Amino acid sequence: MKTLLNLSVAAMLLAGGAFLYADDDEHEEHENHRSSRVAQPVTPQEKATVALYTKECGACHMAYQPQFLPKRSWDKTMNTLDNHFSTDATLDPADHKTIQNYLATHASKNDRMSDMKGAVALRISETPYFVREHREVTKKMVTQPEVKSFANCNACHTQATNGSYREREIRIPNYGRWE
Amino acid sequence: MKYLAIVSFFSMSLMAASPEVVQYMNELSKTAKVENSSFNGFDAVRGKEIFTSTHTGKQGKPMSCTSCHTVNLANSGKNSLTGKVIDPLSPRANPQRLTSTKEVTKWLKRNFMDVYAREGSAQEKGDVLTYIMKN
Ligand code: HEC
Ligand code: HEC
Ligand code: HEC
Repeated sequence: MKTLLNLSVAAMLLAGGAFLYADDDEHEEHENHRSSRVAQPVTPQEKATVALYTKECGACHMAYQPQFLPKRSWDKTMNTLDNHFSTDATLDPADHKTIQNYLATHASKNDRMSDMKGAVALRISETPYFVREHREVTKKMVTQPEVKSFANCNACHTQATNGSYREREIRIPNYGRWE
Repeated sequence: MKYLAIVSFFSMSLMAASPEVVQYMNELSKTAKVENSSFNGFDAVRGKEIFTSTHTGKQGKPMSCTSCHTVNLANSGKNSLTGKVIDPLSPRANPQRLTSTKEVTKWLKRNFMDVYAREGSAQEKGDVLTYIMKN
């Protein structure tokens, strides 16, 4: 049941984005579900996979939620790890396979979110959906040393590692709350 | 005398790296000997030079191991590419370090690429691990 709820929440997010982030009290009781956009791992094997993903893809930056990009983006990322944003992020073959499957299973099913007019997005932060959501965020807020780049989601979204991006959780370094 | 030397080597190794990683270093040592017949054991002084000198890395910019791990290995570092904090590299300050050969080989491959734009040789890897163990 919980898994189902989480999945449907994720689906709604991908369809529009409004529901998950709505801040009204009416939805408060669903907080837990809303804030975990990745379906909760149930079996020990799923837990191990999530732990592996979080460790390996969270070693240099936060582990991004797979739902932010479609499968073809993740496949491209996984096929170019030897030159991943100019660094080497290669994995051993077994871990590579597990992570690629995990990303494929939980990827965004909605290509509207990452429509790049045919191009395959490697960055979440270059997708039209992301650009639209962040159009009011100034360049100075992003390039300051405490943030460095949009890739550093959790510099501003204090609950990003838990998969929650609601407005009231935003604290921009040296600027404060967004609301 | 010989007996004593072995005992003290062993206890020192145990203090700074897990048996698994000590075993890995023994393999590196064998390879280093094959690749360089004058090789005569790993050296922390050479390791320090590898760790602190600056080179043109994979990003085409000047880089050093200290760019991310800082010069004091007992302190936390910061990934110069992403800004993420890195726990101390020194096994004394951070007992998790040098406990898993899988972790060590993975990061040495990546990090030599970052700094030297190539993989490290067996001797270089052994030297730099010896340096890290002593810090
Ligand atoms: C060795 C370090 C390292 C590892 C390990 C690593 N990455 Fe990255 N990643 C980077 C760097 C560096 C960037 C660029 C950051 C920037 O632009 O500020 C990046 C950026 C990204 C971005 C783009 C973020 C954005 O929207 O701007 C994605 C997506 C990404 N990584 C996914 C992954 C995945 C998936 C894994 C695991 C397979 C992974 N990374 C492992 C170093 C790493
Ligand atoms: C410089 C700070 C900053 C960084 C870095 C940043 N964001 Fe945001 N993000 C914001 C702000 C501010 C908003 C709210 C914008 C608005 O309402 O106009 C926002 C909005 C969002 C929203 C929509 C939330 C809603 O309630 O509708 C999502 C989803 C999101 N960000 C995801 C991300 C992801 C994923 C990353 C990293 C790849 C990221 N953000 C990086 C500041 C940031
Ligand atoms: C671009 C940043 C960066 C540079 C440059 C860098 N490292 Fe690292 N290093 C990391 C990160 C990130 C980790 C993993 C962090 C963690 O496990 O918390 C790591 C981990 C390691 C480990 C694994 C230790 C363990 O057992 O967990 C070793 C060994 C290491 N680095 C050595 C080096 C050496 C030697 C150099 C220079 C050739 C170097 N590093 C340069 C970022 C860097």
